[in-house]
Amino acid sequence: MHAPSASISRAQAIVAALLAAVCLVPFAYLAALSVADPWTFPALAPEGWSLARWGRMLTGAGALGPSLSLSLGLSLTVAIASTAAGYVTGKFIAYHPWRRRLLVLAYVPFVMAPVILGVCLMYLFLRMRLAGSVAGVMLAQTMFAYGFSIIFFNAFWSARLKAMEDLVATLGGTTAEAYWRVLLPVSVGMLLICFFQTFLISWFQYGLTLLVGAGKVQTLPLKVYDFVSEANMYYAALASCLLVLPPVALLWVNKRFVFRQGLGTT
Amino acid sequence: MHPSNGRAAADAFLTVRGLQKTFGDEPVLRGVDLRLPAHRTMSVLGRSGSGKTTLLRLIAGLERADAGTVVLGGRSLDGVPARERSAVYLYQESLLFPHLSVRENIAFGLTLGAHRGRDLDVEVEAMIDVLGLTAHADKRPHQLSGGQQQRVAFGRAVILRPKLLLLDEPFANLDAAIRTQMQDLFQRLAAAYRITALFVTHNLKEALLMGDRLAHLRDGILKTYDSRQAFVDDPVVGVRDEMAFWTALREETS
Repeated sequence: MHAPSASISRAQAIVAALLAAVCLVPFAYLAALSVADPWTFPALAPEGWSLARWGRMLTGAGALGPSLSLSLGLSLTVAIASTAAGYVTGKFIAYHPWRRRLLVLAYVPFVMAPVILGVCLMYLFLRMRLAGSVAGVMLAQTMFAYGFSIIFFNAFWSARLKAMEDLVATLGGTTAEAYWRVLLPVSVGMLLICFFQTFLISWFQYGLTLLVGAGKVQTLPLKVYDFVSEANMYYAALASCLLVLPPVALLWVNKRFVFRQGLGTT
Repeated sequence: MHPSNGRAAADAFLTVRGLQKTFGDEPVLRGVDLRLPAHRTMSVLGRSGSGKTTLLRLIAGLERADAGTVVLGGRSLDGVPARERSAVYLYQESLLFPHLSVRENIAFGLTLGAHRGRDLDVEVEAMIDVLGLTAHADKRPHQLSGGQQQRVAFGRAVILRPKLLLLDEPFANLDAAIRTQMQDLFQRLAAAYRITALFVTHNLKEALLMGDRLAHLRDGILKTYDSRQAFVDDPVVGVRDEMAFWTALREETS
């Protein structure tokens, strides 16, 4: 077998660079637009650069700071709650004699679009006085995230893991010891992946948040759409950059600590 | 059927009476009786689906029997949870904990609440030495071969000095050469640590090699034998058929 020639390696490098550019150019454009001062059509580049908008964001202008905090708090809470609940529920279903039937229930939230489901639930939310509140939005988002988490972990809880749990019992361990010493350490990678996925489900949620929150719960995706509607492209770009940053950070953490160390496998 | 009641009842360390288990509409064990003296190994031969694993799981306390009793070391195990039975289960897979090293896997049982207070380090190092794994003590399971992993699994179980070792075809996944090594290892450990064990297998030769006592499980019914000769002579077991096959092959090829 011949080693790849220099020309093939160069071609592979070019293709890789093009693919990277396709992925990264939209983000680079958003970042550039957020600091452009100004950038008017048909110029190919901004006429000037300024961090003033970012500075004003930090001091509360445009209410982006509070929206960022709200979105972070909401998504972290939904991710933690749904991951933990899905971990336990997924196990219960995986080892249940009626596994298939119970698993179908987890798919119910995904049968229809989030907005349609939100419309169906609005009456209930209004009666419970949850409409227009952060708690209501959190509950609605958790419905989807929890269902995802159950499906995710249902595939994780295998016969091998059950055997490990049984083995700890015959070695003299309690259920708590089985979880603390074996099952949780073995599950760390999958828990982080699920946390990441459910965080994203909540983070980018727009339609359901707008409907259940009645426009009062101003998360970052709603802010982006508001700025776009106002044709405020600079603040829309800034809000979009804020929208992208936490998922990128989580992706980096996942890549660095989960996949590289070979976690998430049994 | 079981050995002479007088002698067996007097020296039985493990006594199983009338053990029954049904899954759904399917009876898996139909009144199993067995008696096993202390420091002996009983081989239970049976085909796949004959109820071997179910028998071990019931004795270990991982499943609840529909009827029957299990007495171990003079103590009834009725209602006793698995973690209090001192009956360690060894699976076909080694089931080593992937986040722990060889040393930590072997020491695992000793660090649980039931066994705290013992001198960990000395015992663990001694066991690692007996298993011939000194050079691998700090490795993770994925860095070991299948045979090495099964050695660690043995060490993890035996170091606890359990009252009973339940072996569920532990060598089934190993190739012939490694299987022979593991069989030798088990016999050495069983003698050195005076282990009482139930060894289930579908391999006829392995059943004969491993067991001081022999039994055959078929369609949920366990038949125990007074002697190896009785086991060999029983046509249901299949030893005579095996011998006839190899004899015919030898005559054909000589």
